[in-house]
Amino acid sequence: MKGKNRKKLDPQATWPRLIPEEEREEILRYLENRFGIPPEIFNSYEFLATAKNYWLFVRTPHLRTLEKLRIQTAGLLFLRKVSGYLKPTTATLQRFGVYARRGILDLDRYTLDRLRLEKKIPFTCSLEPGYVILRCEGKIWGCGLYLPEKLISYLP
Amino acid sequence: MAETPETADQYFERYREIIPDYPAFLEALSQPLPLYFRLNTLKVRDPSPVVEGLSRQGFRVEPVPRVPWFFRVEPREFSLGNTEEYYLGLIYPMTLSSSLPVYALEPRPGELILDLCAAPGSKTTQIAQHTEDQAVIVANDRRLDRITALVANLRRLGIACVITTVYRGEQYPLEVSFDKVLVDAPCSGEGRYRKGYEGELLFQKEGRTNLSGIQKGLIVRAYDLLKPGGILVYSTCTINPEENEAVVDYLLRKRQAELLDWEAPLPSHPGLTEWAGRPFHPHLVKAKRFYAHEIEAVGFFVAKLRRVA
Ligand SMILES: C[S@@+](CC[C@H](N)C(=O)[O-])C[C@H]1O[C@@H](n2cnc3c(N)ncnc32)[C@H](O)[C@@H]1O
Repeated sequence: MKGKNRKKLDPQATWPRLIPEEEREEILRYLENRFGIPPEIFNSYEFLATAKNYWLFVRTPHLRTLEKLRIQTAGLLFLRKVSGYLKPTTATLQRFGVYARRGILDLDRYTLDRLRLEKKIPFTCSLEPGYVILRCEGKIWGCGLYLPEKLISYLP
Repeated sequence: MAETPETADQYFERYREIIPDYPAFLEALSQPLPLYFRLNTLKVRDPSPVVEGLSRQGFRVEPVPRVPWFFRVEPREFSLGNTEEYYLGLIYPMTLSSSLPVYALEPRPGELILDLCAAPGSKTTQIAQHTEDQAVIVANDRRLDRITALVANLRRLGIACVITTVYRGEQYPLEVSFDKVLVDAPCSGEGRYRKGYEGELLFQKEGRTNLSGIQKGLIVRAYDLLKPGGILVYSTCTINPEENEAVVDYLLRKRQAELLDWEAPLPSHPGLTEWAGRPFHPHLVKAKRFYAHEIEAVGFFVAKLRRVA
């Protein structure tokens, strides 16, 4: 059991790179268009990137200095690039999903439990296909993917 | 190898003179440790849904007076780790007194803070919460497996202001200087001990490691990692003066540090200025001792210092 739910850390991890302004704008636009999350929410955060992932890290004038340290992780895993699409992580949605105004799927307890158990269930709703925020009884659970007639869970 | 096992009562006898109301202390050791959690205010401001959710699962939950965001839970034998509130990162189970070093540290947004012995992250996550995720925290531990657990906690609570590193604290690279450093040192953990429930006493572990030596190495390096005027907090969850006052006294002799007063939300006693016939720096009265039976949690020692030069 030990470590089963834990991602292995990479002992060779290197510092993620700071991304150019256009790339940041693109991410902010996606979060606003898809979920209605206002860009200002992230004003005090920097977006960093590794090969397939974006990381959220507090904005600081000390970033260059800190790069002298050999790190394991920097910040919160924010979004992943999945076959050309941006996918928000469950951690991000649990933290910042409260600011969302759309792209939210309210599930009853029974459907949530079934989704968690089966990972993929037949489902129809009026939302545009794409990543959704899973919410149940007022609590945000994380990220799902809605495709015509099915719902996929990305909950850990 | 077989030695006559010392009973807990015999073991703690050596502290009879320094522990206030010693019989009450021994009495507390026969109770299991009280259970507490901290509300993760980065995700929820209003505790009521959490309190109600836990009540539905059979817990009795009460806010702790004077320590914001902390709640006491019964039955204490239950685990909070399997609850939905835990899974969603709304709560962080930790003993009440583990919050004290962060009170001494007084972290502020924008500060560069090193948590030298950080895993599994009770204090790292509390610093993040106190600063609204706006301090810059470097969380270090010498063990990669324990840093992995810390990273899982950061993800669970949704914290974005932390960098993690794996160095031996005594050899932490000096390239970066910090506003504040917390040394929540590896220790013998006497403050956790509850008869038959929790913790081991040093004699049971055969005490082969030189903890006091390790702690001295850590506190001196922590000082050297500070900017001039920077703040150092040294804490342990043990009663043993050799791991507490003697370690701080060692730093005071090796470096230009001064002990500071600080305000604690729980009742405490001044640090010792003498132990086993050996005097310590008179300012050690500014350090604080917290005893298990008075605070109904793990016993703690906390000293706050400033780098002078
Ligand atoms: C008391 S625990 C820390 C608890 C943690 N601060 C918290 O609040 O969750 C002490 C930690 O120090 C780590 N440690 C032991 N020796 C160390 C060293 N030489 N350098 C850095 N960390 C060390 C241990 O792996 C352990 O995780």
